[in-house]
Amino acid sequence: MRSAYRVLAYVIAAEVVVQAAALAWMFSGLGRWIQDGGVLDKATMEEEGGPLPFPELVGIIVHGINGQVLIPLLGVILLIVSFFARVPRGVVIAASLLGLIVLQVILGMTARGGVPISSMVHGANALLIFAVALLAANRARSEATEPRPSASADVGV
Amino acid sequence: MWGSRRRRIVAGLTGCALLLAPLAWMWQASLVPRSYSVAEMGTPDLGGGAAHAHPDHRVAVPDLTEPGDGTPDVRVRLIARSDTIRLDSGQEMHGLTLNGTSPGPVIRAEVGQLVEVELFNESVTDGTTLHWHGVEVPNAMDGVAGVTQDAVPVGSTFTYRFRPPRAGTYWYHSHQVSHEQVPRGLIGALVVEPRGGLDSETTDLVALVHSYGGTRTVNGATGEIPVDATPGDRVRVRVINTGNGPISAWVSGTPFRLAAIDASDVHRPETVTDRHVQVTAGGRADLELVVPASGARVELSGPSLVLGPDSPAERRPEARLDPLTYGEPAPLGFDPERPDRRFDYAIGRRPAFVRGRPGLWWSINGHLYPDVPMFMVAEKDVVRVSITSRSDVHPMHLHGHRMVVLSRDGQPATGSPWWVDSLNVAPGETYEVAFVADNPGAWMFHCHHLGHAAEGLVAHLMYHGVAVPYRIGDGNVPE
Repeated sequence: MRSAYRVLAYVIAAEVVVQAAALAWMFSGLGRWIQDGGVLDKATMEEEGGPLPFPELVGIIVHGINGQVLIPLLGVILLIVSFFARVPRGVVIAASLLGLIVLQVILGMTARGGVPISSMVHGANALLIFAVALLAANRARSEATEPRPSASADVGV
Repeated sequence: MWGSRRRRIVAGLTGCALLLAPLAWMWQASLVPRSYSVAEMGTPDLGGGAAHAHPDHRVAVPDLTEPGDGTPDVRVRLIARSDTIRLDSGQEMHGLTLNGTSPGPVIRAEVGQLVEVELFNESVTDGTTLHWHGVEVPNAMDGVAGVTQDAVPVGSTFTYRFRPPRAGTYWYHSHQVSHEQVPRGLIGALVVEPRGGLDSETTDLVALVHSYGGTRTVNGATGEIPVDATPGDRVRVRVINTGNGPISAWVSGTPFRLAAIDASDVHRPETVTDRHVQVTAGGRADLELVVPASGARVELSGPSLVLGPDSPAERRPEARLDPLTYGEPAPLGFDPERPDRRFDYAIGRRPAFVRGRPGLWWSINGHLYPDVPMFMVAEKDVVRVSITSRSDVHPMHLHGHRMVVLSRDGQPATGSPWWVDSLNVAPGETYEVAFVADNPGAWMFHCHHLGHAAEGLVAHLMYHGVAVPYRIGDGNVPE
C-alpha cells in the first residue's frame, strides 16, 4: 500500500507537468493558426463536432480530461490508499492534495466562466499541487521513517 | 496488535464508504431510461396558469400537419449523403451533404405558398431529419427526431409540407444528432419572400456563415468573396450564423441599416456607421446598404463579401448595435403586460452526474437533465419568460414561435419590436421575453449551442391536450 501511495503521488506530480506542457503546446499551435489567417472568436471557440482547426488543439482536450476527470480521480484513490498505507501524516497530506485539486478544478471553471484572475491563481496553485504531490511521494519513500506499529499507539487515522 | 490493525481497517473502510457512497447514490439517481417520451420528461411548470384548459380535446403530434393536400408551389428533393467536403482553400473533410453540396441548395418561397421538401437519406448512418429554423411550421413538420417524428433511416424518405406564414431569412438543418450533423454540413438557407416576390430594385444575397473544421466560410466559400454588384445598387445581405457561438458582422466603406433580425423586419431602422452587429448562433441579421462608387465590404469575422470595386477592409467597430434601442416602436399585436403564464429559464452550471456520467453540467432553474422544466401552455395564452444565464453564453432558441424582447437586465426595449427565435444570453444577463402560444404541439426550447443542448440544456414547451407518440432514445437522438 505504501508503494501504491508513493507511485500515485508521483503520477499526480507528473500529471501537473503534462497539464502545463499540453496548454503551452496548444497556445503555440493557436498562435501559428492565427498567423495563417484563422479567426478566433466565440463562435470558433464553441465549435464542436467537426475536425480540429489545428492539431495542437488536442492540448486543451488533454488538459480538460486530465484536469476534470483523471487528476481528481487519482486524488480520490490516493486518499483511499492513504487510509491503509501507514505513511506518516499520509492521510492529512492526501486530503490536502485532494482539496487543492478540487480548488484547481473550481478555479479552472470560474476562469472559463469569465473571471480571468482565477487563471492566475490556477497557474500558481498548479505548482502547489506539484510540490505537495512530491512531498507525499517523499514521505512514503523511506522505510526507515515508518513508525513500527504497536498495540497502544498508531491507529493509522 | 490485531485489535489496532482491525480498527485501522474498519476506519479505512468507513473513510472509503463516506467518500464513495454519496458518489454512488448521485450516479444512480442520474440514470435515464433507454427511451422516453418528452411528454413524460421533466417537471410540468404551469407558470401560474390553468392545469387543464382543454381536458376533452386531445390531438397527437403526427396529426398536426398542414391542412389540405394541394399541389405544392415549391417542390424540392434533398438527398442527404455521407460525403467528402472540399473547400476552395484545398481543405478536405469527411462531412455530410445535401444534393452533393454543403450548404445545401437555397430554398426560396413566397409567404403562404405550399412548400414540399422530400428528404431522402442515402447514407447518413445515424439517420437524419430537417428542422426549419425560425419557421412557424405545423408541429409534425418541425423535424425534431424523437419529438415530432422518427429519425429518417438510410434508404427512407420523409416529406415536409408547410406554408411559411412570414417573409424573412430562415435556415434548415438536421435535428438528429445535431451537435455532429450540423457542424458536418447538413444545413441550408431558406428565404421566404413577400407575396408577389422581392422588390426588384434590391439585390438579394444570402450569406450563410458556417465553419468547416475551423475554416469559416460564406455559402461554402472562403476568404474574400467577390459579389456581382455595381456602385449605386441597393443590396440586402441575409447573414445566417449556423455555429454554436455569436459572430460579428459589420460593413466597411459605407453606412448600413439592420433591416431584419431573425425573420422579422426592424421597424424604421436608422442608418448607422461604426457599429458591428452581433449575429446570435442560429440567428440571422439582414444588412442593407447602397454600394458606393469606391466599393464596400460586408465583413463576417474572417471571410468577407466584396461589393463593387475592391476596397480596403476596416477593423471591427468596437461599439455594438443594440437592438434594444434600435428602430422605432410599433404595435406588438398582443399585450405582454397581462400574461396568462410566467416562466423562469435560469441557466447555471455545477458538478454532478448526468446520465451516469460525472462532469460539469448545465442546470435549468437549479435542476439537471432530465429533471428540467416542461413549460405547459394552452392555445392563445400570452406567455412571459425570464431567461437568465449565470454561466457562459447561451443562444436560446424556441421552436415554432417568435418571441419579443421586453427588457434586458431591467432596461426596457424602446426601439423597434425586437422579435427573435434565437436570443444571445450572455453570462449575468437576464432577458424578459414574451410570445403568444398560437401553434399547438410539443416544441423544443433549448440552447442552440448544440454541444450544450447535447449536454442536457434542453427544455420544451408543451401544449395541453397534445399527445407525443415518438420517443427519444432507440435511434432518436435530437441533440
